[in-house]
Amino acid sequence: MRRLGLTILAIVVVLAAAAAAFFFWPHGLTDVAEARSRLPTGADSVKRGEYLAKAADCAACHSVGSSRPYAGGLPFHLPFGTIYATNITPDRDTGIGQWSDAEFVRAMHHGVGRDGRDLYPAFPYASYALMSTEDALAIKDYLFSLTPVHAEAPPHQLKLPYDQSYLLRAWKLLFVPRQQFNPDPGQSTAQNRGAYLVEALGHCGECHTPRNKLYGLDSGQKFAGAVTAGWKAYNITSDATAGIGAWSDQALADYLSKGFAQGHGAASGSMAEAVEYSLSHLTPEDIKAMVAYLRTVPGHPAPHELAVAPSPRSLNDSTHLTPAPAENDQESLGLEVFQGACASCHGFDGTGVNDPRAALAGSQTVNDPTGVNLLQVLLQGSRFRTDHVEAAMPSFHAYRDVELAAVANYVLAHFGAKSAQISPDQVARARRGQ
Amino acid sequence: MVDLNINGEIRSYDVPDDMPLLWVLRDVAGLVGTKFGCGIAQCGACTVHVDGRPARSCVMSVSAVGNRQIRTIEAIGRDPVGQGVQKAWVDLDVVQCGYCQSGQIMSAVALLNVKREPSDADIDAAMAGNVCRCGTYPRIRAAIKTASKV
Repeated sequence: MRRLGLTILAIVVVLAAAAAAFFFWPHGLTDVAEARSRLPTGADSVKRGEYLAKAADCAACHSVGSSRPYAGGLPFHLPFGTIYATNITPDRDTGIGQWSDAEFVRAMHHGVGRDGRDLYPAFPYASYALMSTEDALAIKDYLFSLTPVHAEAPPHQLKLPYDQSYLLRAWKLLFVPRQQFNPDPGQSTAQNRGAYLVEALGHCGECHTPRNKLYGLDSGQKFAGAVTAGWKAYNITSDATAGIGAWSDQALADYLSKGFAQGHGAASGSMAEAVEYSLSHLTPEDIKAMVAYLRTVPGHPAPHELAVAPSPRSLNDSTHLTPAPAENDQESLGLEVFQGACASCHGFDGTGVNDPRAALAGSQTVNDPTGVNLLQVLLQGSRFRTDHVEAAMPSFHAYRDVELAAVANYVLAHFGAKSAQISPDQVARARRGQ
Repeated sequence: MVDLNINGEIRSYDVPDDMPLLWVLRDVAGLVGTKFGCGIAQCGACTVHVDGRPARSCVMSVSAVGNRQIRTIEAIGRDPVGQGVQKAWVDLDVVQCGYCQSGQIMSAVALLNVKREPSDADIDAAMAGNVCRCGTYPRIRAAIKTASKV
């Protein structure tokens, strides 16, 4: 008996020691001098890093608006609490000015801060882990070329146990790749380049792939679509109905580089930001490569009611100025709101009156009966800006819940041939950010 | 420089390409018949035609116009439909304060070009985005009906 007890005790002690070592043993640093020696120096590396930083869309999260790029401070409201993006300008006290090459690469590949603490995966290191060490260092060179901004990010506010960042080591063991991107010899050069852009830099899966119960990406449903921070990132698998399988190469390239494509509508919310900050800056070759890679992602079907209606009769019977005659016979609050507030830009026939971005025919947002993004656009408006283009839709939050629900249901029926039941309560919840 | 085709005349304008068309019309080209109302495409006062379609010029950047034809209220009387609408507006004395009326007329002409004999519902749908705080709506509707019979 006594020997058995001692054995159990020994096992417990060993397991406890192993667990303690796993969670608390300080993270090491990998020597990156060799990768550094392969990089060009000075302006060449900065230029390369600038392009890569755009492809990795660092600015979208590490800036608040466009006022102080890379100075951090943007809050992320998550189910576990609120975390804040950090300052990644080279300020020595509040930014990354004192980080070494090895520390920066460790953060990008393993999600570890300079002080050795585990970083929260809102920083998409589960994707950046695939980035080459040279590219990570080029990004560092670019960031170090920026003007230092003194800006302390607010401390994270997380609930127990999520504030115990060492627990992330278990999460990382499950969800962070341990190898950098490896080209697949069975794929073309363009497909491999596209895979690197989509997976390692663009981290598209962070929004477009559903998460499992442990908040890791569910690789079995890669790119099948998910809701993140109140916006739905649509299915971008090669499924012809639910995904982008039926889109032409040109339409996909247009959507990625300009934020809209004829017959597919325009990007709003987080995707409009991704186009504005990141994708619109990529070379046409890189956009083509991303399209080539997206074609290879296995199709993942979705329920039939989410499919985009190809050519609803309600659109064919409308002109840009007047709705289908059948609609006029009904007393409809939705139609009344639409004709007063929306029709002057969007028109009734789906072609868009003011701007090609206002064309609603074929847009997934007006074909999704859950109305997730539709309500976001109504409440927040939509804005798209590049060096040469500025297009904006104002917010309609001043309208009552019952009016917004009615116009949402009208839009889904008219443009998407969907019978939707968006309730005023749902609008009220969306208004509160729920 | 941006080339614009305004009322049949192509000219170069030295403006940034994200400048709203309304700014160019009023402040650069001197065509002040088109009015600024809300600035967010919600009132219709700034309505002009771009390739025959009514457009809210306050939110349309000149780069988005491209080489399409712009028509403003100054040139609306150049064709029979525009003349008919102008005449109906005068005959029925539609205007009260007048601020929104260039936009109302531009939308009315665009509607009649699409539907020669619009129903009440068509008029509501096509004109609802043009706000008139004097409340001249009944006279606007009557004038469109009058113009449609010419």
